[in-house]
Amino acid sequence: MIISRNWLAKYVPLEMDDDALNQALTFSGIEVEAIDHIPALPPEVVTARIISAEKLEDSEHLTLCMVDIGDGSEPRQVVCGAPNCSAGMVSVLALPGAVLGELTIKSARLRGVESHGMLCSERELGISEDHAGIIRLPEDTPLGKSVNELYELPDTIFEVEITPNRPDLLGYEGIARDLSAALNLPLYIKEPQPVPGVDSDAIGLSLSIVEPQLCPRYTARLLADIKLADSPLWLKTALIKSGMRPINNVVDITNYVMLETGHPLHAFDYDLLQGETEDAAHPSIIVRRAKDKEKFMALDGNEYELDGQDLVIADGKNAGALAGVIGGKQTAISDATKRVVLESAAFQPQTVRRSSYNHKVSTDSSYRFERHQSPEMAARTSLRATQLLVELAGAMVIGDLYDAYPQPVQRWMVALRKSRISLLIGYEMAEAKVKEYLGNLGLEYVKDGAWQEELLHDASEIKECDISSKCEAAMWFAIPPKRVDLLREVDLIEELARLDGYHKVPVKTPPSIIMDKHAYRIRNQVLDYLVGIGFYETLNYSFNDPAQLQLLGIDPQENTHKLINPQSGNQALMRISLLPQLLDNLRYNLNHGERNLKLMELARLYPADQNVEPLHCTALVTGQLRAGHWQNPGRQINFFDIKGMVTGLLELLDLPGTKMEPLAKSWLSQTRNLAWFIEDKPVAQIGALQPAIADKFGIDLSQLRQELWVIELDVHLLTEISRNRKRTFVPLPRFPSVSRDLSFVVANHISWEHIYRLVKGVDEYLISNVEIFDEYRGKQVPEGLRSLSLRLILQDKEKTLTDNRIDALVDSVIKELAEECKIQLR
Amino acid sequence: MEAELNRFAEEAAEKIAQCRTPNDILNARAQFLGKKSMLNGLFARLRELPAEQRPAFGQLINTARGKLESLLASREQEIKSAAWEAQAAVDFDSSMPGYSWQRGSFHPVSIIRRQIEDVFLGMGFEIAEGPEIEDEFHNFDALNTPDDHPSRNLADTFYLESGKLLRTQTSTVQIRVMESFKPPIRIISPGRCYRNDKPDPSHSPVFQQVEALVVDRGISMSDLQDTLQNFARAMFGPQVKSRIRPHFFPFTEPSAEMDISCVNCSGAGCRVCKNSGWLEMGGAGMVDPAVFKMVGIDPEIYTGFAFGLGIERIAMLKYDIPDMRILFENDIRMLAQFKGESL
Ligand SMILES: [Zn+2]
Repeated sequence: MIISRNWLAKYVPLEMDDDALNQALTFSGIEVEAIDHIPALPPEVVTARIISAEKLEDSEHLTLCMVDIGDGSEPRQVVCGAPNCSAGMVSVLALPGAVLGELTIKSARLRGVESHGMLCSERELGISEDHAGIIRLPEDTPLGKSVNELYELPDTIFEVEITPNRPDLLGYEGIARDLSAALNLPLYIKEPQPVPGVDSDAIGLSLSIVEPQLCPRYTARLLADIKLADSPLWLKTALIKSGMRPINNVVDITNYVMLETGHPLHAFDYDLLQGETEDAAHPSIIVRRAKDKEKFMALDGNEYELDGQDLVIADGKNAGALAGVIGGKQTAISDATKRVVLESAAFQPQTVRRSSYNHKVSTDSSYRFERHQSPEMAARTSLRATQLLVELAGAMVIGDLYDAYPQPVQRWMVALRKSRISLLIGYEMAEAKVKEYLGNLGLEYVKDGAWQEELLHDASEIKECDISSKCEAAMWFAIPPKRVDLLREVDLIEELARLDGYHKVPVKTPPSIIMDKHAYRIRNQVLDYLVGIGFYETLNYSFNDPAQLQLLGIDPQENTHKLINPQSGNQALMRISLLPQLLDNLRYNLNHGERNLKLMELARLYPADQNVEPLHCTALVTGQLRAGHWQNPGRQINFFDIKGMVTGLLELLDLPGTKMEPLAKSWLSQTRNLAWFIEDKPVAQIGALQPAIADKFGIDLSQLRQELWVIELDVHLLTEISRNRKRTFVPLPRFPSVSRDLSFVVANHISWEHIYRLVKGVDEYLISNVEIFDEYRGKQVPEGLRSLSLRLILQDKEKTLTDNRIDALVDSVIKELAEECKIQLR
Repeated sequence: MEAELNRFAEEAAEKIAQCRTPNDILNARAQFLGKKSMLNGLFARLRELPAEQRPAFGQLINTARGKLESLLASREQEIKSAAWEAQAAVDFDSSMPGYSWQRGSFHPVSIIRRQIEDVFLGMGFEIAEGPEIEDEFHNFDALNTPDDHPSRNLADTFYLESGKLLRTQTSTVQIRVMESFKPPIRIISPGRCYRNDKPDPSHSPVFQQVEALVVDRGISMSDLQDTLQNFARAMFGPQVKSRIRPHFFPFTEPSAEMDISCVNCSGAGCRVCKNSGWLEMGGAGMVDPAVFKMVGIDPEIYTGFAFGLGIERIAMLKYDIPDMRILFENDIRMLAQFKGESL
């Protein structure tokens, strides 16, 4: 629903700014989906009369106008392109110097003719999207007047979403009532005063409801002497700002009153309604089910085929409206309309929803009736529209209101226990406050009495609650009929919580900060990953044997916590390395005949120089990558298998492109050795264990003819480094990538990484990736050299790469490689 | 003529059903729908009919043609599928071993630890960890342990040259959390603990414990019972009962020992439960006001409960592992048995 701030302010004083109003609406449960500011127009935009309008020669659509702005000055010459531009018309002129959005009006020559200003459409003024022609103002509009006053500018348009449980908010009055209750502001809703009708025998109506279940109330008001015309500007403006098109004063009034009250209305041309028989005294209105396959020509120009599930408002012969959904063409208001039947009714929501859905026609009316409009509101709404029709269309009211209301809704009362409020919302609300809030919503406090779940319709039925009787004390409230959503105690409590503000609901448990969820997640991820790729998790005591540390070349005295009372000498230190016990575990399992082993332990270390006990992971790998298989003979695990294991983990932890270089360790090979650095700290290392070290731990690698690989992960550092990592989506490339392969021979000592950086450096933007897909050393390649095959992935994010650019790029790559690496292309 | 058409259609349908190869289909298509087919011939003979019958009969011919076309298409599809299936069936033995990724396994203690964490996270607890190398204050003083209490001995507790000690229970984390955070507190603290016990079937100098601590307004022994019961059911199954019985710990008052009904004999009495029908799970109780005062929480406003569980003991119970030392051997024949245990 679209609401104008200025219109809303007619019912409730809005002192706050737009942001505060947005807040207030949001917190009373009205979701604001969009806010559109309509700025005030500059003083150079004024009302003006077109004195003359003549087609400009040589032009199909331009008109040369002389325009009077009523200040006594000479008429101004203005060229206008609008089709509706005509002499005598009052419109809006933007004088030179006026700034409309991004447009500044200047005197100019159009087709050789001078033009001093611009006649404006509503869209040009930012009032609506209408750009069909220039604005037509009433003939009696004073000239030279600022348009701001006429259009009530500036204004702010709120697009709001009303939840389906709140049909009472489908009109300005309802929203105003809610705001006034929530913010404790006065409410200016006037009750329409009765308009006495003139008795007339010549005009009458025969009204009957065949389906009172589907139409609990139908009221009809007869009005004669209608002077059909354009609506006054204020009414038009109000409709436009609420997203509706003005049509004529009668239709506009029904729409205006619907927007105001939330209750839809419809107007029939009385003289087009037929009686049940040729000689009937009066035309009929019959609320009945449609006949099967009954044809109905609607106001939207479509013909609908109805069935017995549809409810129609018919005259003596034909369906005149699909009840609550859309009016019919046959009985519609037209320029010839003199007499009107004003319908104000209530329909069963399900019926309206079904008709709207089945015939795929959704209107402002069906939207509201689907959400349930109270029959009790029908008469008041009718009266309000009647008042306006008298005032603005010169209507004469005929007789009394026709009111078919077979079973009037009985007023109902709901009991509310104070104890229940605090139980549900979590804090106490003073009784006075409860009564004030509910009173502001139009609920009437009746009296205190014994609680009961069932509704009551009469105050005399409310039982007393004294101390002696076993009862719960409650306040009884009478519900205004339009609040069809308030039927239970809990509904009232919801209103109280909403009006007092959900922000007042106390948080029982403050948001927790004790747990380091990130560390917990990383720990689990590392463990899950390693087990997933085949590792067995071991568990060892938290001690190191000083002798074993020495075997690895680690000084057991340095940086260690020593136990005063170890159970044995080989448990004398708190662990600073997981490796010795893992080697023990490995030996143990080798001795049991296992050949292919992947062991790991994830545990804290206790270096004396740190005040944390950092979590580390060490893993040992030896043997075949996967055990031999009848289709795939196994192979020994190599350096690149191990490297890939670490790469995979870093990918999982979203720790990209890290520096990699060997890091000397007294127990690892110096060449088959690599460490990953993030922020210059080593977070992971792999390497081949020196056979001599293995030997000292009782593992004879030469006899096994296997390598023993070590992986060490500083899980504590990985946790800290990945702590505040945030992933953001990178839009997908819209242009295809291209790949080009290059094969060349290069000296062995030039590393792949060096080549990669060199190639990528040629154009970081266009060369999105460089992959290596082959390495060859052997007969065809001279000693000391190797052959490499690269694939360049090229991509431009802005456009498709042309062959010329691709060739030029590949040439630069070759040149760069030739200079730096002395490559020879193969 | 109509009879002729019907007869033709029937025959053609039969022949199509008898097609066995893609080639048969090709021939059938030419025979029944081709230029020289009888169907086309009938078209040519439309002229023989009275003018007013021609459109209707033309329609009949077209319908017949459509039917034959769809029969041919579906038969062709059947023949192709059969060929595809037959080709795959040659020398195919689906019972040969698959090429598995050869998953490893978690250590059973890890499995139980994560399961316990999971149960408590689900109950809204947080996980808090603390140092294993502790000071006397957090391990003993703050937990209301008298100066001359035997647990402070070298025979019970490992001490470091630095003067610190290895925590004997994860209750130390309770103290650290209560020092830093205001109630409400709902934490568990899992982790390694140390006691100077010689390794034997039910003891280990290094073991893992989970402590739970809840501090809030209005926490009573009833909450302790609730949590314990929920935990026991989540870990051991819905049929398991739990109970608490009086005991003594310096840091809780009232103190209790927690039991669960024997998971082996469902309470009837057996070897595992030494015929009592109950298994001891650990110590519990309401946090002693003295402990609250030590960490600056007003015991007049807040109450709380705590309990501690041995993870190895639960693992041994759940998996029927007879000797705690097995857990530290890291024999992959043992570890491999837990491949199918998820965390
Ligand atoms: Zn038992």
